[in-house]
Amino acid sequence: MAEFSAEVFQNEFLSDGGTDVHAIVSVTCTGAGAAGAGTAASATADAGGAGAGQVAEIVAVDTSGSMQGRNMEAAKHAAAVAVDQIPDGTLFAIIGGSHVATRIFPYPNARVPMVAMEPGARAEAKRAISTMAASGGTAISTWLRLADDLFATVPAAQKHLILLTDGKNESEPKMHLDQMITHVTGHFQCDARGVGDRWVVEELRKISTALLGTVDLIARPEDIAEDFAALVRKSMARGVADVDLRVWAPQGSQVLFVKQVAPEVDDLTSRRTEVNALTSGFPTGAWADETRDYHVAVRVAAKPVGSEQLAARVQIAVGGEVQASGLVKAKWSDDSTLTARISPEVAHYTGQAELASAIQEGLAAKASGDEATATVKLGRAVQLAAETGNDEATSRLRKIVEVENEEEGTVRLKRNTAKLDEMALDTASTKTTRVRRA
Amino acid sequence: MSAEDSVLVRCPSCGENAAPRARFCENCGTALGTGGADPSLPSEVTLDVAPTVLDLDPATGEAGGNRRCAACGGVIADDGYCADCGTPGQSERDHFEERPATWVAGVCDRGIRHARNEDAMALAANGAFAALVVCDGVSSAPDSDVASLAASRAARDVLVAYGPEGPSSVEGATSRRIAGWTDAMVAASRAAGQAVRGAAEQLAATKGTDVADDPPSCTFVAAVVDHDLIVAGWLGDSRVYWLPDAGPAEQLSVDDSWAQEMIAAGVPRAQAETSPQAHAITRWLGPDAADTDARCAATVPNGPGWLLVCSDGLWNYCSDAHEMGELVRKFAGCGEPHAAAAALVRWANAQGGRDNITAALARIAPTVTEQR
Repeated sequence: MAEFSAEVFQNEFLSDGGTDVHAIVSVTCTGAGAAGAGTAASATADAGGAGAGQVAEIVAVDTSGSMQGRNMEAAKHAAAVAVDQIPDGTLFAIIGGSHVATRIFPYPNARVPMVAMEPGARAEAKRAISTMAASGGTAISTWLRLADDLFATVPAAQKHLILLTDGKNESEPKMHLDQMITHVTGHFQCDARGVGDRWVVEELRKISTALLGTVDLIARPEDIAEDFAALVRKSMARGVADVDLRVWAPQGSQVLFVKQVAPEVDDLTSRRTEVNALTSGFPTGAWADETRDYHVAVRVAAKPVGSEQLAARVQIAVGGEVQASGLVKAKWSDDSTLTARISPEVAHYTGQAELASAIQEGLAAKASGDEATATVKLGRAVQLAAETGNDEATSRLRKIVEVENEEEGTVRLKRNTAKLDEMALDTASTKTTRVRRA
Repeated sequence: MSAEDSVLVRCPSCGENAAPRARFCENCGTALGTGGADPSLPSEVTLDVAPTVLDLDPATGEAGGNRRCAACGGVIADDGYCADCGTPGQSERDHFEERPATWVAGVCDRGIRHARNEDAMALAANGAFAALVVCDGVSSAPDSDVASLAASRAARDVLVAYGPEGPSSVEGATSRRIAGWTDAMVAASRAAGQAVRGAAEQLAATKGTDVADDPPSCTFVAAVVDHDLIVAGWLGDSRVYWLPDAGPAEQLSVDDSWAQEMIAAGVPRAQAETSPQAHAITRWLGPDAADTDARCAATVPNGPGWLLVCSDGLWNYCSDAHEMGELVRKFAGCGEPHAAAAALVRWANAQGGRDNITAALARIAPTVTEQR
């Protein structure tokens, strides 16, 4: 049985008249087990029967004309490797995507939309994958729609899509994709991957963020297989489905924001659902044995010096049941040695979140030819990466800018940088480092 | 004088001189010093010794059942905070109320600045008789909350024994009853002093420390209403006020404090009460107290009014008897003592709540004398 724990890091002391309470809540899950493990026995017993198992996995591979050649061969190999990694009993399907989406396996003429994995199905799926050929355009909304239709036919508690593309979503209006993302949000989780340098980070990030997954760049086609295998393993390790973060705030207060800040920055505020008048819920998808950190900011009414007030209860709920709770407090004091202190955790993650937006805004400015803004933003990013000890961001930034003074954040934009380096910096911008504890 | 000065600690916030090893400033409530245990954490000993059920109004039965939030009336959740407004739930020791009769009630509250409630209160009423006892634990000594509660209850029980139907019932003409109640008051203060010593010894035994080392102590003030007669007794600076509806208000008790000694010596009251040592008390109850006999005063009211027994957590914000009379009248329009006492405590909290606050009221009216 999975167990959750919540740990709160904050400076609870507010100065006289202070209203804004910030806290980092670190949530850890242990004993998550394997995905669908709770019903593994019945899944085996029902092997072959439709609807067995609690986990459903779909791999959607770009089969547009641009994939022709190395990319297509690598993608086919990767899909086959993914099929090898999907454990027996898991419901699965393979989609080929261009300006239309096609069910590659189960074969289009099969009566069941998804089948439980077993050795025979595995071999047949690989044969189907080997017949995929590149042609046509790219309309990713059709891929999402087909995946959603397939997932809708199975009762699995956990549904996960791996999406691979190499190009821009160019065969449909942008609005179509946006509408489809909204339509499928909450139905399944999706990790999106781009291969090469002709896809658009922002497009895939929009998909993966809404669908509680990750976006990443695969620079070389031969690395796709390894990445797919890792994604399947990660998905299968998520033994706890349907996890919500809940934030209670007192009557008359205002939740300023709720952000996941580790392992990646993800602003959850706009994904709020109402649990009750005082409690907001934020979906976090499925969990493996892992720790995720959240930054919660609440504005409360100021109370007299000496008063104490609970500013937030931050809870983890699985299937609607609260599993762990962290208390965020406010205590008003006129002792400036207490109130002036900033929690190192809050400071660190505030810096990391600003780092992510500085990188994204800097790259966007550079792409639009606004070099002045790009220089300032990327300079600030270099400064923040150094301050918060984010060495990965520092080394990626150094491929884009010449650093004159790290502490001051003064940089010059490099000429003739590789597109791949910029994309790598962009996709990695939301990844954060954890606080180094003494 | 210089030798005495050397052992005094000066409050960094208001400049008041505090006793050595004091944990909070008696004047402004600022936490003092760095030594010793975290004052915000109640010691286990306190929790073990302090009674868990207080004499709350049996009609409302508020001692049991779901704890309610003092700020908004919501339910206190399992995590100790209100489920609606997030205010910390108060322990019964932090805030309690007593209402032994429709005309007698009191509220005892932690205030805002102090980590625990070292004030205590014990009330009793029977017909036209009432006893109101308030003890203010000296926050420079640990476990004074235990001492003050033990003291107030012991004193109340003694006074009840002298009341109607008691084994030593005080009776007779007014002058005889004044003498009888003065004796009763001294007996009560001695019993309270004994209770403090007993609590101190028990605490010292539990903790394995010496009683003489930082012994808990508290003030003592009590008032008895016996038909047409009010008798007050005190040690320290907790007070009894007689606040008639018509005519001048008066403070019946005379503080045993440095400030009072200065006033007696001719220093103006305002100057004496705002001086850094103003709150140093010259008499108290505790193992280190030489004399535990209450000083007494009596009055025979000639009209209706309010009897107020309170700790300095209230009168610090309104010391003058005339002003106190106006304040009480402002909150006591309905003539109901429980609501008025609660309003006085809320008012003191609104002024900053720098100390524990206790306000106990008895409504003295011609009807009271006719009740028997």
